[in-house]
Amino acid sequence: MSEIDEAEVELDPAEDGDGGDVKVEVVKQTGPPGVLRDRYTIRSSQPLPELSTPSADAFVAEDKRDPNRALFGLICKPELPPRVNAMRALKGVSTPGLMQLVEWGPMNWPPAGRQCMTVVYERPGGDRVMTSMRSDVPRIDEYQITKRVIEPLTAALKEMDSRGVPHRSIRPTNLFYADGNGERLAFGDCVCAPPAFDQSVLFETVESGMCTPIARGSGDHTEDFYSLGVTIAFLILGRNPVVGLSDDAILGMKIQQGSYNMLIGDERLPLPMIELLRGLLCDDGSQRWDAEDLDLWLSGRRMSPLQPRGEKRAARGFPFMGKEYFNGRELSQAMSRNWDQAIPPVVEGKLELWLRRAVEDKDKANVVAEVVRMALNSSTDKKSSTDLMLCKVLILLDQAAPIRYKGFNAMPDGFGSALAAVMASRGDTRLLTEIILREVPRLWFEMRGEYQPDNSLMESNFKELRSYLSQTGMGYGLERCLYELNDALPCQSLLLGEEYVVEVKELLPALNAAASKRADGKQIPVDRHIAAFLGARMRSDIDRNLTALSDSNQGVAMMGALNLFAVLQYRLGPESLPGLAAWVGAMIAPIVQGFHGREKRKELEKEIPRLVRKGSVVEIYNLLENSEERVRDEQEFTFAQAQYAAAEEEIKHIITETEERAAEADKIGRQTAAVSGIIVAMITASVVVISAVF
Amino acid sequence: MLRPMAKKISAVDRARAAAAAKKGGGAPAGINRGVVLMVLAALVPFSLPTVVLVGFGMLPTLASWATEKGPNKYAFLCVGGLNFAGVFPYLFTLWFGVHTLDEAFRMLTDPIMLMTAYGCSAIGWGIYAAMPPMVASYLSASSQRRVNNLKAAQKKLIEEWGDEVAKKG
Repeated sequence: MSEIDEAEVELDPAEDGDGGDVKVEVVKQTGPPGVLRDRYTIRSSQPLPELSTPSADAFVAEDKRDPNRALFGLICKPELPPRVNAMRALKGVSTPGLMQLVEWGPMNWPPAGRQCMTVVYERPGGDRVMTSMRSDVPRIDEYQITKRVIEPLTAALKEMDSRGVPHRSIRPTNLFYADGNGERLAFGDCVCAPPAFDQSVLFETVESGMCTPIARGSGDHTEDFYSLGVTIAFLILGRNPVVGLSDDAILGMKIQQGSYNMLIGDERLPLPMIELLRGLLCDDGSQRWDAEDLDLWLSGRRMSPLQPRGEKRAARGFPFMGKEYFNGRELSQAMSRNWDQAIPPVVEGKLELWLRRAVEDKDKANVVAEVVRMALNSSTDKKSSTDLMLCKVLILLDQAAPIRYKGFNAMPDGFGSALAAVMASRGDTRLLTEIILREVPRLWFEMRGEYQPDNSLMESNFKELRSYLSQTGMGYGLERCLYELNDALPCQSLLLGEEYVVEVKELLPALNAAASKRADGKQIPVDRHIAAFLGARMRSDIDRNLTALSDSNQGVAMMGALNLFAVLQYRLGPESLPGLAAWVGAMIAPIVQGFHGREKRKELEKEIPRLVRKGSVVEIYNLLENSEERVRDEQEFTFAQAQYAAAEEEIKHIITETEERAAEADKIGRQTAAVSGIIVAMITASVVVISAVF
Repeated sequence: MLRPMAKKISAVDRARAAAAAKKGGGAPAGINRGVVLMVLAALVPFSLPTVVLVGFGMLPTLASWATEKGPNKYAFLCVGGLNFAGVFPYLFTLWFGVHTLDEAFRMLTDPIMLMTAYGCSAIGWGIYAAMPPMVASYLSASSQRRVNNLKAAQKKLIEEWGDEVAKKG
């Protein structure tokens, strides 16, 4: 088991075998209620286990403006990144097949003692359609299913499609009767956990099912239609057709038999239903039915059912780990799960031989041979080159599969949530770092062959991540990757305490609030997370500030932080931040000491308390960042240094040149005596002459 | 090219050249001295009493000129000035009184006159001996005052700019 797997064991919803199960234990939580946006009261003493999801606990919610409105709130788990963008897109959306998301936002949640992301939904009129993956589900016949299920749910998917948000949590255990009569079904929550995180492999496409659950990515609506297909199959059959099977077994059956055959098997279904399910359960994403096909089907136009096109079966199996594999997809999946054991047969050329002789795909065999040869001739570290080799070989064997590297399987757009979860659980991030640094996603994009416009964007994003990762300063590194990959992830800085900061404008008020509770008086109000958060979220270029933050000179680092905060306060407010100003004020000693003049220092130290009371970081910054004053101070200091050095030199000269001075004194003394003698002679002569004359 | 040529000059020659330079050039001084002696010799027949009085009366000056060594030979000026101040009143009396050899000898045998002339020259010696230490102590005090002023200025700079002002920029 890889390190990522180990780190995510407790986050994996599928550990109990049917990840779609809903928690049934009563959560005994008491305490004061939480209030969301001063309007919605979430009663921590009134849990609603029947509405909880695997990633969020449900509680009774009340609208202060309309107490009769039936609402419930879902409290997200702090260690999982919620889908904030989906929340933004779905807030207030009222469509028949979707539970209405009324409000969302971070809320101080007393039982957790911190702020938690909270989502308030309108309570569905009826119960959950299926309480457990093992339980039976009321069978809906072909005549009712269109009106009760397909029409409302398709409308909901269309609405979500128009808002650019796939649901990714479509399963019978997340379906509710929207009304008390059970006439209409509606999707449950999809925003409290990363996309498809709570989904069992059964409801995911083969490619998504191969992924580590946290790293499935938001994908697109084709995955939603697949999940809808599986859900419809459950409702038509009235039961889980593969109950008791493990995820691995389900995935293996999907690969070998195709999803339709695995779910429906020999069941007798009406032709329209076969047509519908074959279309929705098509394993080829490009062939799978979408909203348009469903509309055509609903309007009565019938098409011939899609026939599965399986991969070519090899003439003989490839023996690996005691089992024989007959196609590349199945084999690559097995190899990705047994990474170290998969390397020897590939290096020894057995795979190439199998591809050449049993699969009779010479082109693929040649490429594999070339990849192996390059890895063996590589001058770099053997282990890393063979790892990359296997990664390439796995892509060649199954080009539709996710990125697979040392047991970690991820869709490129699922990488962010995986990184967020691992970092939130303080897990080992080395494998994720390695994937970025070794440019594994680039290999995946290059070797897949098919061009997708999104791919080039994602590829360039991963290139950027690599450059961020190779820089170790504040604002870069893995933290920067985290915020670049998760554009709605709250800032994870410990300096913020319980504050929940998703947008840049929320940062200063949060720091202001956290300032009063901080224990460490020596910590400047910026750490690696805050720097990376600002680097990723601020629209303007702050690279210069980030470089300053990493400066070994504390004054320069603090000035960089001060500049960032001043810009934020100036642009986004609020006008007064006394807590943060006091925090900053206590940290600016290195900046004040940057001025040489003692008078200037005293002047600044006298002025700063006034600005701290005012709560203006902008004015503190302006006071300290006076470039003219700074230049003048520097010039005057240089002049003073020169004066000091000149005085020192002269003193040294006076003290050391005593012999010369003695000789000089002797000479001057003699000359003075001589002049005195001559003057005496002249005076005497003058006196004698004058006295003689007069 | 210069080094081999320099080697050809012997150490003795160099010592002689150095001594000549130290004396301020031997030949020109010798000429001046000869000219002075010749002028004096020419004057002797016309003022023999003056020559006798000055010759004997100014013997300390001659002695100081002859005995002083070193580069700064100013003793004859100091002693000579004072000596002349002692001799001049008698010389003036001789010139405007009886300008005869007898009168000159009478003056020279007058103990008061000798005491005046030689006493004045002694005072000259005293002044010459006392003046260099006095100047030295004056200069030393002046230097110390300058050092004190500089140190005070440095202290003020440190008060104004901190200890780092003493570090080399």
